[in-house]
Amino acid sequence: MERNELLPLLDELLELEPGTVKGSDTLDTFDGWNSLAVIGFLAMVDEKLGLTLEPRKLVACQTIDDLLGLLGDRITQEIRG
Amino acid sequence: MHDSAATNPLDLAGRAILVTGASSGIGRETALLLSQLGAHLVLTGRNEEHLAETLQLLTGDGHRAEPFDLSATDEIPRWLKILGASSGPLNGLVHSAGIHKLRPVRTLRSQTVEDVMRINVGAAIGLAKGFCQKGVCAPGGSVVFLSSVAGLTGQAGLAAYAASKGAIVALTRALAVEFAAEHIRVNCVAPGIVTTEMGQSLLAKLTPEQGAALEAMHLLGFGRPRDVAYAIAFLLAETARWITGTVLVVDGGYTAQ
Repeated sequence: MERNELLPLLDELLELEPGTVKGSDTLDTFDGWNSLAVIGFLAMVDEKLGLTLEPRKLVACQTIDDLLGLLGDRITQEIRG
Repeated sequence: MHDSAATNPLDLAGRAILVTGASSGIGRETALLLSQLGAHLVLTGRNEEHLAETLQLLTGDGHRAEPFDLSATDEIPRWLKILGASSGPLNGLVHSAGIHKLRPVRTLRSQTVEDVMRINVGAAIGLAKGFCQKGVCAPGGSVVFLSSVAGLTGQAGLAAYAASKGAIVALTRALAVEFAAEHIRVNCVAPGIVTTEMGQSLLAKLTPEQGAALEAMHLLGFGRPRDVAYAIAFLLAETARWITGTVLVVDGGYTAQ
């Protein structure tokens, strides 16, 4: 999956206008980033990429880029942010 | 003459019972217990290999595996008719096959909802429809569905699963009334979190802290598949002769709070 396909999904997950989320954004600045959003992200990654992430690693992430970093080479081509 | 039911009221000697989802988890454990209680089992599930493994683990003989995809809900009654004709009528039915999805509603797709409802509820209705046919169900038959504490209390991230398990409670009551004249009892079990593959899969999506908090809500800790299997056996056996349309909660105290 491409990075520019995943960012809109994060917009949706965090209840933000399309095009809002950027890679350098700090997760704590989003009101919608809570335990349920963490579960939502896990489910999304599982559904879209067939990847099972460790929740512990996920909650340790500081930025959107950190989150995407967990996906390794499953995410390609930086377009936005 | 020795009356085995008098010495063991859970005795199921000679009873033919169909167990869905018998290839793993609660379904497999239920099959093992029922065979130990003397039942002859018909096991079904999607995974033929795992089904064969369960078959190997059963006590006694006269058991068989009948792989079937329960998502083909319209085909279930015909499949059960054929099953009844080939192996004789069934005394009991346990629908343990189910799908669990942890999805906040914001990320829930309609296809996921449909998948969950089809297996957890649609298949239950198809099985009931098939079971009540002439030649499929022996007199005094007993149906046990699997609900969940998620169908009784609210839990974030479980909208689709909870809706399906709440539906099972309503279905149980409706069918108990509809089938009473035919002396078919219909009940369900509502487990809390049990250490099955499904339970482990749920816990894998939580942080250790979230997992610990969830376990603490189960006053007696997480359950074992056998804890639920005992409740199912109770509802199938003579012990529940006068029980229909009920929900037997087996949750280590989860809903007591």
